[in-house]
Amino acid sequence: MLSLKEIVPSAQNNINTQFIVLDKGRIQGSQNKICLALVADETASVHFQLWNEECDVFQPGDILRLSNGIFSYDRSKNMVLRAGHRGKVEKTGEFTMVFVESPNMSEILWVPDPNNSGKYIQESVISPHSRIFPPMI
Amino acid sequence: MASKLINKAANTYEADNPFATSLSEAFHLLEPQLRPPFPLTIRKPPEYLDINRAILYAILTDTHLAKLHFKHLHAIVTDGYCFFTSLVTRVVNELYTKVFDTVKIQLIWVCLEMIDVSAVGVDGLLVALLRQIRGGDFSDANLWLCLELVGVFMGRWDCLVEEEPLMLSSGLYVFLRLLADHCRLSLDSKVEILKRKEIEFCVRVFKEQFHLCLKIGRDLVRLLQDLVHVPEFRDLWKDLLLQPANFRTSGFSDISQLYQVRTSSRYFLLRITPEMESQLRFLLTSVELGSQSRYQIWFGRKFLNVQDNESLVIDIVRFICCAHHPCNQIILSNVIPRWAVIGWLIKCCTKNHVEANVKLALFFDWLFFNEEVDNIMNIEPGILLMINSIPKYIEMTHSLLEFLFLLVDQYDIERKDLIVRGVSSAFDVLKRKGVVQSFDALIGCEMLSPFLKERLVKLLSCTNVSAVSHLQPADLLSQRLQSPTLGARI
Repeated sequence: MLSLKEIVPSAQNNINTQFIVLDKGRIQGSQNKICLALVADETASVHFQLWNEECDVFQPGDILRLSNGIFSYDRSKNMVLRAGHRGKVEKTGEFTMVFVESPNMSEILWVPDPNNSGKYIQESVISPHSRIFPPMI
Repeated sequence: MASKLINKAANTYEADNPFATSLSEAFHLLEPQLRPPFPLTIRKPPEYLDINRAILYAILTDTHLAKLHFKHLHAIVTDGYCFFTSLVTRVVNELYTKVFDTVKIQLIWVCLEMIDVSAVGVDGLLVALLRQIRGGDFSDANLWLCLELVGVFMGRWDCLVEEEPLMLSSGLYVFLRLLADHCRLSLDSKVEILKRKEIEFCVRVFKEQFHLCLKIGRDLVRLLQDLVHVPEFRDLWKDLLLQPANFRTSGFSDISQLYQVRTSSRYFLLRITPEMESQLRFLLTSVELGSQSRYQIWFGRKFLNVQDNESLVIDIVRFICCAHHPCNQIILSNVIPRWAVIGWLIKCCTKNHVEANVKLALFFDWLFFNEEVDNIMNIEPGILLMINSIPKYIEMTHSLLEFLFLLVDQYDIERKDLIVRGVSSAFDVLKRKGVVQSFDALIGCEMLSPFLKERLVKLLSCTNVSAVSHLQPADLLSQRLQSPTLGARI
């Protein structure tokens, strides 16, 4: 199981991790619903894209386990984590997980690794925390 | 393997519960052995454990044949039902909110059977079921559970008196507390029927087993206070205050004897569901001050957001003061302290009568504090909340201190000296044990009303008599009047 700080963009569905949902955006789309959520563990946060039924089922405070997830660009070129067609996300609990909101892995500028084709490396931090879901004091 | 225990449709996207899976796996493994003729061999672990799991799963899900499965259970048991009861208790604690309604009905039946055979650990099972009743929740499912459990207590009265008398004290605590909610909202005929049964049970414990009421200690009085408008309890009150001999219990001659018994923390746990307990304990052991906002929102949304259930805050504050005592390592860390959580909970109250009861819950042990029986950790949140609120929330400090003096004056006018003694020794011990260095922050606070400060100074001047707390109350009072510096002289 990876911690969120360890995730790197990839074209493969190979991310197994666990996190807590901190916030949820507006549900968009009609035929296929999508919804962006802020999720985090004790090392980092990231934007997670919920798909169809997942948008209604999961609530802030839920602890989720992601199997075979993918961290890549969505259609608007934002870096998001999601289950994708081959992955699965399940609720394993509620509330009892500590988290940090910074760094946010979706707010990092990722560039192709010049020494390792197909891999990505961090170039710079765009924002220390989510610009979509600002931290709560 | 699909589990017939958990309502998957209502819990989509939930990961499989390993414990529920272990029960259904045992059932599927041993299913051929769950039909007669039953083998007469005595089983050893691990086979013994698996057959227990399989039979429990069968009883809970195969309702038509449950009677047969019970017979089988009675035949194979070699440990006084200890393991079986522990499994049922775990089902209640970990899965109750997720199981099918039919499984809940079976759980009540299992509980009755376990009482009938005096199973080892049946008290733990009853506690687990009582804890699933959610305070202030008027949903059909919750009222059903109240009705079933009050039925268990009445239906198995003799057996419980004989075998598990402390369970009657527990049942009394729970139903007195629930009555405070159920009597407030009694227009509904369903609630009316339930209320009658709850009253009947509670009054019976008072009339027939008063010594078990005494076991609860001082919080019994706190609960009864909310029921003073109910005729049956008004009569009990009169007896408690004026005719204690009517209870025909040797050694009981005055209500102050109840005041002096600190209520055991297990009673406070009875009014907190296991889920609520785990979230509160997590908040108070793992979440750092400054990071609590989201957790507070989630907790509030889940447990305090239902109409009319604000009174739950009273139970939570009693739980935090008396049943959650952090270790020194946590106290010295950045973890959110108990007083801050209680401050937030008080702010959550919108109804005056609830807020007053929450403050009473916070100060209740102050009123009767006696160093020999009481725990300083029960009174620590009250003082820290008052002192730490001064810089930013002076109105909190003011309203708490004002309320404390109101209690001193009004809580029991007949026994005011006892309460003055309790509150002064509470202040005294808080300073002596170093919870606070001094009360200068309060006494010297310019924003606090001079009247309150004067009263505090006066009260603190009584504290040096605590060194002679073993003296009889009357002696103490007269000596205190004669000599304000008694402590120094001794």
